[in-house]
Amino acid sequence: MPSRRPRPRVLFLAAVSAVLVLTGCAAKTTPAESSGSEAATTRKVEHARGTTQVPADPERVVALEPLELDTAVALGVTPVGAAVASNVTGVPGYLGVSGVKPVGTVPEPDLEAIAALKPDLILGTEARHSALYDQLNSIAPTVFIATHADPWRDNAALIAEALGRADEVRALLGAVDDRCEKLANQYDVAGKTVQLIRPRDETTLSLYGPVSFAGSLLECVGFSIPDRDWADGLQADLSPENILDATADHVFVTTIDVHDKSTIPTAIARNAGAFGSVTLVDTSYWISGVGPRGAQSVLDDIETFLEETH
Amino acid sequence: MTVHQVGARPVPAPPRPSASRAATALLGLVAALAAAVALSLAVGANTLPPSAVWEALTGHGTTETDYIVLGLRVPRTVAAIVAGSALGVAGALIQAFTRNPLADPGILGVNAGAAFAVAMGVAFLGLRSSSAFVWLAFLGALVVTVAVYLIGSSGRGPADPIRLTLAGVALGAVFSGITTGMTLSDPDAFDSMRSWNAGSVLGRGFDVIVPLVPFVIAGILLAFVLTPGLNALALGDDVARAQGANVAGIRIGVIVAVTLLAGTATALAGPISFVGLMVPHIVRWLFGPDQRVIVPLSAVLAPVLVLLSDVLGRVIIAPAEVPVGIVTAFVGAPVLIALARRRKASTL
Repeated sequence: MPSRRPRPRVLFLAAVSAVLVLTGCAAKTTPAESSGSEAATTRKVEHARGTTQVPADPERVVALEPLELDTAVALGVTPVGAAVASNVTGVPGYLGVSGVKPVGTVPEPDLEAIAALKPDLILGTEARHSALYDQLNSIAPTVFIATHADPWRDNAALIAEALGRADEVRALLGAVDDRCEKLANQYDVAGKTVQLIRPRDETTLSLYGPVSFAGSLLECVGFSIPDRDWADGLQADLSPENILDATADHVFVTTIDVHDKSTIPTAIARNAGAFGSVTLVDTSYWISGVGPRGAQSVLDDIETFLEETH
Repeated sequence: MTVHQVGARPVPAPPRPSASRAATALLGLVAALAAAVALSLAVGANTLPPSAVWEALTGHGTTETDYIVLGLRVPRTVAAIVAGSALGVAGALIQAFTRNPLADPGILGVNAGAAFAVAMGVAFLGLRSSSAFVWLAFLGALVVTVAVYLIGSSGRGPADPIRLTLAGVALGAVFSGITTGMTLSDPDAFDSMRSWNAGSVLGRGFDVIVPLVPFVIAGILLAFVLTPGLNALALGDDVARAQGANVAGIRIGVIVAVTLLAGTATALAGPISFVGLMVPHIVRWLFGPDQRVIVPLSAVLAPVLVLLSDVLGRVIIAPAEVPVGIVTAFVGAPVLIALARRRKASTL
């Protein structure tokens, strides 16, 4: 799943929707605003595709983006259906939920399966599902985040707004920040460098930057990711020839099986001398588990790592 | 006295470029190959100075230069030569065999069979690296080509090129469809198949290259043996038979050689597109239709092309890389358009 560069227009939309989310949150706390006759059953949500009337308290949610699934689960609204990264693996295990029906893959959701679940709210992503919006919206009110490349906290805030749980998401994001701060105070790692490496294939290793999901969590506990020419601050690809540009005090390598040492890329294994500390971490939440729940799982791993090494 | 020939066209001998011209071309191509090898060792995503490359090659490198030069560039250079030669010769054979200038070694289902086998390996055996795909891909290529041959030759008479091509295209479409379906339903697992599918020579160690070399050598030797027969076949089956050629034998020989060569190339490097199509085309265009010239020249020109494409792929988006198969497609498409626009594009 190559991440896409958000186009300027998408960024603009994202900025607008972020502003609207913030103003929306503010408006909601004013009692006078919610006294309208229809306010009891539906709410208006401004998002990447305009304004949509959504149920006041959605119960049958379908999430088409990992971030949306994670955020909904974290907010206590377990979706009835979710698009998954893999039909074989299904709904990611780290979420600890059951009964979420897979409805196709994230890039190719299955419209019939979605309709069969009779959802009352569908959550998707403009950058991925743009062409499906009208069909989805005819099944149930549909709210789109602009792009999964935007800062995940802003996206989570919009999803919470669509689910009518803006206050709760602030608490969840606050809990992530608090935990970061606690770990940063407990373990002094200031000045230590880290790299998060995702091996793609023989020709490419992707490094994740400070704006990426897990990258931001590594930085929030005090580590620093050495600067380089990031695409959108998110990611930078590297040939194995340049693997020695990816050295750091600690290197985290994503894998589908953290116990299988053979999943460490040959480029790193062959240059073991230059890589002192290499830790395998689970791709399913370090890369794909974007959201408040995934953030806690990543921080669990970081805390374990800090306990063992400091 | 005038002798009139009735009922049979005089047999035109293949326009034969002088032997010395072909020999000169071969020498020139061998020199080009040597230059391409040097370039492939010296140039990469990491801008090592030539002196550092030389030190690594002569056993005086550092850990870093040893890894880059001996661990990455040397094996990928050898893999590019092996896969390139195999594709060039397989392309020449298949174009002569089908008498179709647009035929590609994949037309007998080799690529689709290899890709299908790799997809099965990813889905059911949990294979995740290109070197683990090699033997499975080779097996898939062999099995599907045999199936194509059996389908194409069932019913009346021996396998003729048109029925084989149809069987290859049809079976290839079926297998590609299944492979695509499998890939789409589990994109995460198939991440590792992505670069294989694009065609790449990086990350294949000598442990997987060396055992494949005998198959390529056998295929190329068989191709050389077949070239006079292919020249005869170019005149049509009847004329070839009249000249004493064993038409059915030649056809089976070609299928065996193409399967060995394209199967090995695909197993080693994935389906590298356009090389098998383009190289024999260029050779035929420059040196005429004599297979005794086309086959050896293709065997040398194709690796030059693969090596240069691979080098280009290493530098265009440095510090990252583009797999060689994507570069050959970028280079190949304009060449194909240029060829199609020439009225005298080498016909068969």
